[in-house]
Amino acid sequence: MKPMNSKSILAEFREIISGPANRYVERWKEDGGRVIGYFCSYVPVEIITAAGFLPVRFRGAGSEDSAPADVYLSSKTCTYVRHTLSLGLKGAYDFLDGEISLNTCDHVRRAFDLWRHKTPVPFHGFISVPRNVRESLYPYYRDEVGNLAASMERFFSAEITKVSLRDAIRLHNETRKILTELGELRSLDKPVLSGTDMLIVSVAAMVMPPAEFNETAKNLLRSLESEEKTASKPRARLLLAGGELDEPAFVTAVESQGAAVVADTLCFGTRGNDTLVDEEASDPMDAVSRRYFFKVSCARMIGNFPDRFDHVLRTIKKHRIDGVVFQRLKFCDPWGGEAHNLGRRLKRHGIPVLFLDREYGHPNKGQVGTRVQAFIEMIESLTRRTGIKEGCVG
Amino acid sequence: MNTNGQKSIRERLLAVPEWRVIIDSNPALIKFLADDPCPNGLLSLASVVWDYLGETADLWEKGAPFVWCNLGMSSEIFLGFENLGHIVVETQAALQSILGDPDYTHAFIDLAETSGVPSDCCSADKAGIGSILRELYPMPACSVGINTPCDSQVLSTQAIAELGEAPFFLIDVPYYDDERTVTYVAKQLEELIPFLERHTGIKFDWDRLRRACELSNLAVEKIWEWLDWRRLAPLTQSSKLVAFTLIHQILFNGTEQGVRLATDLAEEARVRHERGDRFFEERVRAIWYQDPVWTDFQIYDWMERELGLTVPVDVFGYYAQEGLIDCSTPESMLNGLARKLVKCQPMSRQFRGNIETYITDFLHMHEAFGADCGIFAGHVACKHAWGGIGLFREACRKAGIPLLVFEFDMFDARVTTRESIEAELTRFVNEVVLPRKAAKQGRLRV
Repeated sequence: MKPMNSKSILAEFREIISGPANRYVERWKEDGGRVIGYFCSYVPVEIITAAGFLPVRFRGAGSEDSAPADVYLSSKTCTYVRHTLSLGLKGAYDFLDGEISLNTCDHVRRAFDLWRHKTPVPFHGFISVPRNVRESLYPYYRDEVGNLAASMERFFSAEITKVSLRDAIRLHNETRKILTELGELRSLDKPVLSGTDMLIVSVAAMVMPPAEFNETAKNLLRSLESEEKTASKPRARLLLAGGELDEPAFVTAVESQGAAVVADTLCFGTRGNDTLVDEEASDPMDAVSRRYFFKVSCARMIGNFPDRFDHVLRTIKKHRIDGVVFQRLKFCDPWGGEAHNLGRRLKRHGIPVLFLDREYGHPNKGQVGTRVQAFIEMIESLTRRTGIKEGCVG
Repeated sequence: MNTNGQKSIRERLLAVPEWRVIIDSNPALIKFLADDPCPNGLLSLASVVWDYLGETADLWEKGAPFVWCNLGMSSEIFLGFENLGHIVVETQAALQSILGDPDYTHAFIDLAETSGVPSDCCSADKAGIGSILRELYPMPACSVGINTPCDSQVLSTQAIAELGEAPFFLIDVPYYDDERTVTYVAKQLEELIPFLERHTGIKFDWDRLRRACELSNLAVEKIWEWLDWRRLAPLTQSSKLVAFTLIHQILFNGTEQGVRLATDLAEEARVRHERGDRFFEERVRAIWYQDPVWTDFQIYDWMERELGLTVPVDVFGYYAQEGLIDCSTPESMLNGLARKLVKCQPMSRQFRGNIETYITDFLHMHEAFGADCGIFAGHVACKHAWGGIGLFREACRKAGIPLLVFEFDMFDARVTTRESIEAELTRFVNEVVLPRKAAKQGRLRV
């Protein structure tokens, strides 16, 4: 029996994302299905789904100690990768039939060395994603996606057909549409979905079978629309920006002072959800690749900051944002460069921004809460001085 | 003053303390090196840097367009354009460390951090960004970035694109090192040429590129010859010189100066070996497998003098065999340049892809140079290197190679003191390497 009220649905999603495996993954395996772990938003999950496998995004949830990975990766590698790999080294990801890594960043590349050498995961796929979004580099990415699909077909004796790929495209597009609709509820004047809950839902979408997620998330949408609205207006409407963040506790800390995270540009969040795969394209593999390559980019894409900043400005305007909270995992260079450029431009536009470095697995509720509290007060003081009631004008 | 009564670029540079200290260093350095037991390579370096500064100032004076790039790039392609200046944004940091005042590098780092670059990012890149923020370079007509050798370069190229406020082009070097990768990079170099023509207003000249590639080849052959001399034990030339091959590749690939510097280094190594000149007693040979101590090159003299520890080669000084460019056609030149970027540029070769290349190169160097041990001088922000430390350690253990691992910052002397590096090296040499060496030679059983 499916839970039908928003509270119970969110509780289920919360439970699902609490560790590397969950009951959906277990059931999938019991039914003889294969599961593929993957890093990063540049892995086209449609390919995995079309092969008949379940894509599960790598996370460090449930890891209490990164020591097994520290031995190999040192303390200079980001804690997201260290905790994720630690789970792998401890056997918590042994349910995987394969994993797909990328040259996302130095950390993921080095983790890939260890997935290959130190875990029993049988299949290792890799995509070298160009570091710049431009048409002339797209064919390389398209070839990489094709090569990945071919290597999966060979290794697993699986078949990715145009029909199965089109089905997968429709399924994952539906997920994106539902998440976008849920995102709108987070962005109401009186949000009926918190930033914390939105992240929980977004993460759940990456670790459970897409069809079952879609059904449950639609129930959530209906529940939120029909339930009595008790939400109040937040003290400040925040955009949560930055790279990897799949820990709801951090968002809770940000929202603990009366602000609401009404939009995000996070890797595990809603960034890119408004870019769908063309369902009518004659070459579905090309359509999938195009979507991933040309969507709003990650900070690893060099020279595309102006496009990302335009996206930030559009988001600020659309969601009437009062301030930006930029979070970054310590040791992340690509998002470190983004911090520099973003701070410079936001300042030029007069948009308040708070930069927070963090470590995976440590939401630091007290510290984050204190800094956000001061940030909100600064926004409120700015609002009083300028007379602007709400929302920054980009 | 020029004819309009304005200060010339040279006068303006002399008024900027960061440039003045480098310019003033030349006569002082020549005087200082007169007492150095191994001066020719250093004198040659000082001389070619002097030429480079003069040529850059001339171009600046003439109002020539400039291109900014990062240190993963090789300069030959820019030399195909007459009167085009190119600035590697890490130049100031490197020159301050060798010729100027490292405190200026510290100031660049602090400035970058103040402007929002996180403190855990690489000091080379922070220093590069800081020197841009200090407005020490002519503004670019356009900028070119390359994603090698590491994520820190991603950070600095992002900043170059933003702070240069000019059109930007990225050369993407993939994870792999196969022929498909070489062809892909060559195609981007082909795409880069019209980009540079468009934004600099200068027509590309294939004959100029051919000349640059020929000079590049001459220099590479000289560097190989130089490395061959340095393989011979005992080492008769200063250890610190290997670090300067980074300067060579940043500033002088494809130039007459590059050939001169490489020739002088090789010639000095040959003469010293043939004469049997030695100013230290070599007891232990190490492959220095990470960043040099840019903040204090005298530490290499100390190592030689106090410990008998020599470094015949390091990761920067190692030029792989794929460095030669086929100059017969435009296509072959672009392919050769691409191959160099993928397979030869130090660090880019070892760090861009999987850890196997890094380990294999080390084991090869260890054998080829007859080393006794490895030294992983772990630059604190070098995530790709630190990320491979576990597998690297295992490979060394399996091969029976003693490995020292320590932390420091290659451009920021405030992170680790010289004394602590000395203590690490002393303990390693005296308590690990020498006893093992003695045991191997049968003089001692352990």
